[in-house]
Amino acid sequence: MATQYEIPVGAQHISLLEPLHFKFITENEKIVDTTANVFYVHRGIEKACCSKFKFRQVSFVVGRVCGLCSISHTTAYSQVAEKLIKIEIPLRAKHLRMLVIELDRIHSHLLCLSHVAENSGFEALFMKTMQYREAFMELLEAICGNRIQYDFSIVGGVARDLKPEVGQMIMERLKKFKPQLDELVDIYQNNWSLSLKNKGAGAITKKDAMRLNVVGPFARAAGLAIDVRNETEDLLPWKEVGFEIVTGTAGDVYARNMVRLGEINVSMRIIENIIKGLPESALITETKAFPDGEAVVRIEAPRGELFYYAKGNKTQILERLKIKAPTFSNISAMVEGFKGNEYGSVPAIIASYDPCLSCTAR
Amino acid sequence: MKTFFKALGNLFKKPVTIKYPFEKTYIPDDYRGVIEFDENLCIWCRRCEMACPPGAIVFSQDMEGKQTYHYNKAVCIFCKECVRNCPKEGAIFQTGIPARFALKEDNINNGWNILYDEALKSRDAYAAEKKRLAAKKAAAAKTVVEK
Amino acid sequence: MKRIETSIENLKTDISNFYNQEKHHFVVMNAVDLGEKIEVQWFFCDYEPPCAITAFCTQIQPTNEIPSIRDLISSAWVAEAELVDLMDIKIENTSKGFVLEPDFESGPLRKKK
Repeated sequence: MATQYEIPVGAQHISLLEPLHFKFITENEKIVDTTANVFYVHRGIEKACCSKFKFRQVSFVVGRVCGLCSISHTTAYSQVAEKLIKIEIPLRAKHLRMLVIELDRIHSHLLCLSHVAENSGFEALFMKTMQYREAFMELLEAICGNRIQYDFSIVGGVARDLKPEVGQMIMERLKKFKPQLDELVDIYQNNWSLSLKNKGAGAITKKDAMRLNVVGPFARAAGLAIDVRNETEDLLPWKEVGFEIVTGTAGDVYARNMVRLGEINVSMRIIENIIKGLPESALITETKAFPDGEAVVRIEAPRGELFYYAKGNKTQILERLKIKAPTFSNISAMVEGFKGNEYGSVPAIIASYDPCLSCTAR
Repeated sequence: MKTFFKALGNLFKKPVTIKYPFEKTYIPDDYRGVIEFDENLCIWCRRCEMACPPGAIVFSQDMEGKQTYHYNKAVCIFCKECVRNCPKEGAIFQTGIPARFALKEDNINNGWNILYDEALKSRDAYAAEKKRLAAKKAAAAKTVVEK
Repeated sequence: MKRIETSIENLKTDISNFYNQEKHHFVVMNAVDLGEKIEVQWFFCDYEPPCAITAFCTQIQPTNEIPSIRDLISSAWVAEAELVDLMDIKIENTSKGFVLEPDFESGPLRKKK
C-alpha cells in the first residue's frame, strides 16, 4: 500500500496566473483526488450594481470584472439592458461590436497559448507569441482608446466610431500577421519536445464533457460542438460575416492548443469581412425609458459561454443582476480532469484550462 | 531542429522591447485624455455630475447661488459620459492630453472625499435658505392681503 | 425564456422528467430576494439551435431547505455552494466556505431591513 501525500498548490504559486487553490492527494506522483476553493478575489460586484450605480453606469462597472474579456461583459450587459428597455440598436453599432469582440478573442487566445508554452518549459516560444500579440494591443488602442478596459459598448450602441485610416491599419497588420500565425501553428503542431508534455495530458472524453456541462474551447476540443455564435442569430449576425465552428477529438492539452489556433484563423477572416462590408448608420439609439421585467442573454467570451440575468423595477437602479462566468461551469470538470495524471504536468494542465478567477468570484 | 537554427539567428537581431519612458510609444491622435470645462458656456444643469460613473465631477454652491465646478483627474475613467450627456455643445470636452501622476501633497483620496461631502452640504444649505426666504416672503404677502 | 412553476416537493421529479444529458445543458442557479419570500430559479439551455432557455422557478420562505440536484447533475455543486454563501439559504448536504471566506458575514446579497 503506497503512502498518500497531500500537496497544496496554493493561492500563490510560481506557475499560477490566477489565485486558485487546489489540494492534491497523490500516491507515487500520480494524482488520486482533488479539492478546490475560490474565495480569494470576491469584490461584491453584483451587490454594488444593484445598490449604488444607476443602470446606465453599470456597463462601466461590469467591464472591470475581468481584464481579458472586458468587451464580452460590457456587450452582454448592454444587450440585456436593451432588452429591458425594449430598443433596437443601429446596424453599424452591431458590426463594430463584433469587430472588437473578435480582436479581443485573438489577443486572449495568444495569451493563453503563450502561458501553456511557458509552463511546459519552452520559454522562447512564450516570448515569441507575446511579441506577435503586441501588434493587436496597439490596434485595440487605436480603435477603443485603451489597451485593456475598453469602455466601448454602452446601453444603446457604441461609444466611438471607426475611422477609415484605422480600418486601413487593421488590414495591413492582419496581412503581416498571417505568415507569423502559420509559423506558430507549425511549432505547436510538430515540435517533438512540446508534444511530450502536451499529448495525452489532462484528457477528457465527450461523454464526460456532456455529463459535466463544460463550455468553451475545453468542450470543443473533446468533440462537443457547442458555441453560442453558432446558436443565436437575433442579437448579432455571426453567420452573415463568415463564422465557422472549430472542433477537435482528443480532448487533451494538444487538442486545445489546436482549437485555439484554428479559432484565431476564423477570427481573422471575420474581421476582414466586417471591414470590407461596414454599413453606414447612426451609432446610438436615444431613449428615456426605465428598465422593467426580466431578461436573459448569452454571449461567447474567449473562454466559453457567458450568461447574464437582469431584473428591473421601473426605477434607475436594477433589482437583481446575475453573472455566470465560463470558468464557473468548468470548475467541476477541472477537479475531475486531474485524476490519473502526473504531478509534474499540473502547471501545464491548469494553464490549458484557461481559468479566469476574476470572472468567477466577482 | 528548425527551432534550433531560428534561435541561433535571433542572437544577431535587434531586441523588440521599447525602453519606455525613455523612448516614445505609439499614441493615436484621438487618445482618451483629461476633461476640460468652459465656464462661460455652462448652463449649470448638473447632468454631467449625475451621469459620471465613479463620481469625479461635483458642483458646490455658495450662499448667493453661484456654482463652482470641481474635477478629480485621478478618479476619472475617461469614458466621456459627461460629454455625451451635456446639452450645450462645447461646455465640457475631452482633450488628448494623457493624465499625469498625482503627488502625496495633492491629497487626492481623502481630500476629495471631504470636498465631495462639503459640496453636497453647501447645496443643501443653499436650498434650505432659499426655502426659508420664500416662506417668509409668502407669509409677509399674506399679512398684507389680510390687511 | 420559458418559465415553469414548480415547488420544493416536486422539484426532483420535474427536473428528472425534463433533463436529458444529450439534449440539455445546465447553466446556473439564481435567487432573487423579494422581501418576504425568496424566488429560486434553475436555468437550462438546449443544445440544438434555436437554443431556448427554460427556467424552473419556485418561491420559498428563507428558512425552508431545498433538495439538492447533485445526483441528477454532477456539476451542480458549484452553483449550490455559491447560493448558500451569498444568499444564506439552506440546501441539503452543502456547507459554507466556497465563494466567501469562512469568517465573513453570511448572506451579503440579502436586502437589509
